[in-house]
Amino acid sequence: MKPIQFTNKTAQKIYDDYISRIKRTAAPLNKADTEEILMELNSHIYEGMLNKTPKNEIENLVDITEKLGAPEEILKPLIAQKKLEQATKTFNPVHIFKALVLNISNGIAYVFFAVLYLTLLGFVFLILEKIKNPDHVGLFFKNGNFHLLGTRNPATLEALGLTEVLGNWFIPVMLLSIVVLYMLITLLLRLKRKR
Amino acid sequence: MNDDFVHKWKSQVKKGTLAFIALNVLQDKEYYGYELIEQIKKHTKIEIAEGTLYPLMNRLKKENLVTSKWVEQDSGIPRKYYTLTPTGTETLLQMRTFWFDLEKSIKTISK
Repeated sequence: MKPIQFTNKTAQKIYDDYISRIKRTAAPLNKADTEEILMELNSHIYEGMLNKTPKNEIENLVDITEKLGAPEEILKPLIAQKKLEQATKTFNPVHIFKALVLNISNGIAYVFFAVLYLTLLGFVFLILEKIKNPDHVGLFFKNGNFHLLGTRNPATLEALGLTEVLGNWFIPVMLLSIVVLYMLITLLLRLKRKR
Repeated sequence: MNDDFVHKWKSQVKKGTLAFIALNVLQDKEYYGYELIEQIKKHTKIEIAEGTLYPLMNRLKKENLVTSKWVEQDSGIPRKYYTLTPTGTETLLQMRTFWFDLEKSIKTISK
């Protein structure tokens, strides 16, 4: 993006600050999308300045940026949408997490996705716990019915009537659950975005 | 009279019809962002939050209703021109039919 040059130093500073705010707000996006946003808003400011009498640069610039709005506000829906596109395209967990955080205010569905994502992180936590304390972690059944997926003190298992059913299969089953849940979240997000 | 309610309602109507207005403006000619906003203001006399137009145009582009292209300028600061796609034209006709039907209904019940 070619920056606009102002003759007035204060106007230049106001402009530089505004552009920095756009850059900061657009930071979660990839380089190409950030550049696109920057170029478009920069073009708006430039055309706006051309359409005003050049007497007072500061006044004109402030008027244009005020009418344009705060970058943090105007770019919010765009960033949330772009991030979601990026997340569902790449299957990258960092993008998915950021997209969920940005979209959480866009409806109850995203709260549901965030809960699914937390469940997935819970499975990761269980695998790590299983490696550290193999006897404490597992899928516990009581009287043939599901009781708990998590940690229990092995000393209390008998008293509580609990049996761990997965044994050495715990980690492979958890890994498989993570992959399935992750694919499910991403595909559901993709479907939600297309609606 | 509830001024606050009317004010909120007006702003919801503006927000909801901005895409329809932008597509109407683009029906005969391509425009770049700043020019498009000026045209909207000129024809509709509504004060839009100018920055909201850009995320909207991005959404219309994603929906394949408009296309955009960067056109280099002597200043070195290019303009991004928006054009209606055939899908956009078709969609605009559907929107118009809905709008005119709604207008007719409102006129009938407002008597």
